[in-house]
Amino acid sequence: MLDVAAPASDQIVGTIAGPVTHRSPVRWFAIAFFAIALGFAAVAQATGQVFFFRLATEALIFGGLALSVDLLLGITGLLPLGQALFFGFGAYVSALVLKSVPSFWLALAVAVVASAAFGLVAGIIAIRAKGVYFALISFGLAQVLSKAVYNTRELGASDGIIGIPAPPIPLGIATVDAASPGGFFLVVLVAIALVYVGLAYLLETPFGRQLGAIRVNAHRVAFLGFAAWRYKLAVFVLAAVVAGFAGALYPMLRGFVSPELMFFTVSGNAVINVIVGGAGTLIGALYGSAILTVLRSVIGSFTEHHQLVIGAIFVVSVIFFPKGLIGYAVQAVESRRGSRRS
Amino acid sequence: MIDWLQFVLAPQVINGLSIGVAVVLMALGLTIIFGLLDVINMAHGEFYAIGAYAAVALIGVGVPFWWALVITPLLMAAVGYATERLLIQRVFQSKDRHTLTLLLTFGVAIILEDGLKIVFGANPMRVEAPIGGATEVFGLFFPNYRLFVMALGSAIVVAVWVLIYRTRLGAIVRASAFDHRMAGSLGVPVGVVYAGSFAFGVALAGVAGVLLAPIYSVFPTMGRDFVLIAFSVVIIGGMGSIKGAVIAGLVLTQIQSISSLYISPVWSDPLLFGIMVAVLMWRPQGLFGKLGHA
Repeated sequence: MLDVAAPASDQIVGTIAGPVTHRSPVRWFAIAFFAIALGFAAVAQATGQVFFFRLATEALIFGGLALSVDLLLGITGLLPLGQALFFGFGAYVSALVLKSVPSFWLALAVAVVASAAFGLVAGIIAIRAKGVYFALISFGLAQVLSKAVYNTRELGASDGIIGIPAPPIPLGIATVDAASPGGFFLVVLVAIALVYVGLAYLLETPFGRQLGAIRVNAHRVAFLGFAAWRYKLAVFVLAAVVAGFAGALYPMLRGFVSPELMFFTVSGNAVINVIVGGAGTLIGALYGSAILTVLRSVIGSFTEHHQLVIGAIFVVSVIFFPKGLIGYAVQAVESRRGSRRS
Repeated sequence: MIDWLQFVLAPQVINGLSIGVAVVLMALGLTIIFGLLDVINMAHGEFYAIGAYAAVALIGVGVPFWWALVITPLLMAAVGYATERLLIQRVFQSKDRHTLTLLLTFGVAIILEDGLKIVFGANPMRVEAPIGGATEVFGLFFPNYRLFVMALGSAIVVAVWVLIYRTRLGAIVRASAFDHRMAGSLGVPVGVVYAGSFAFGVALAGVAGVLLAPIYSVFPTMGRDFVLIAFSVVIIGGMGSIKGAVIAGLVLTQIQSISSLYISPVWSDPLLFGIMVAVLMWRPQGLFGKLGHA
């Protein structure tokens, strides 16, 4: 399959992403993930671990960003190198809303609608480019716009926006305060779980199948009479909304937003989380984010050079385990099932 | 009008040229690597930074600048050769090698950047320009070192062009880029050509790093912004095109330089990016054809 004369391929086939069916063990890994998260919450609440609650909440929020990356990379075969742009965009919109009206639902709603509109504009530019060009365009777009924010005094320039109030979260039966570590963790856990379940359901619909078809062979999708670009644009907007939604939760947790949220480090970390966790499995994105966020924090308490370790894990993962943690776990479970049957 | 040309425009053009040749060196490395291996080298900016730091380190132990300028590319070529052989070859045969090699070089970039921080610290360092003084050109004074960078950079670009289009070695490289199976059948050691081309591209980034070290300060993330310009150049000129890298590199840096007379330099990156998007919409494959095809 080594044809240098061929144009840059615009899909990812086989190795790093695989088809996911609802019967596969992926579902059990998803249930396990949320069960572990609830178990953690119970233990942390009983022992009053505020720091770990905050860290776990942050891991889930970045997990939302990783989900949007997996939607593009693992499912559709488009490698986004600037997804943090939409994450940061959602965070800034949410911060600006919360500054004037401290309403949880309003901040989320405005962030989602604005991210959809922004994703549409960016998507029209980005999906024209295929394969590696898409990766570079998304990289460039994020690089340029994050620098523009960095230099805009109205948005706090390099300092960002600080002093964002934690809003009360009315949930109908009860009201949770975003400032309460345990309460906000559960709210974010439910929010990310809903996003996960929604995306997992979407992959079973004809729309979701079409995304897989684009990953495997975009040309054939066109021959079969489907306009691939419509699906690509739709999934790009959806990914922008998911990233923006996750970003909107960030200022409620930390009380500030800064241009660094849009920088390449954040985009790159999201891609690393997805690849290490298992591209194309969705739940792998959450596992990757949870494991690596904790790892970054643990290594970070010993040395400030945690990127070196993360980079090494990533390189080893790309070379030896391109299917990622969940990808291999699923394979292992399935081969055991297969051998039992035969 | 004459005054405007002489005192406003000319300095911008000449300063733009001195940055332009360095951008062209970077873009040449990227485009040769892509033309042969189809690899987007995300670590190119870090190789550029390592080149600059190698100069800092060599000069620090008493090596004269001129020797550093010769030794650094050789060191970088060895680093590039090892990277290709030990890392890139491992994922090169897989079906989605475009993505895997891009991710792999991205991982290498993270490791190298943090490595530079560990070895040299995060604070910017400076390298003294080996040539002092200034020369009068069109009634204006320009630092001699910048003129030297322009002259040497241009000479290297011409040498690369001659090497690839006028020598037997260049014919082998072009043949490998055009059809590696056929080249292999005719006895070309394609694996060595691939690794050698990667090493060559990395060495060019190293040269750019050494040449610009006395003009800009040297810091671990210095490659990031610079590599974005080089990527824009390569996309506009056409991935894998030598001619495209040279022309687009010079034109883009001129646009950047001249536009800074009218707009804040903060907006020059968005301007370049806008041009890149416009070219991609009009000609997605870039302006010129790939190495070995044209």
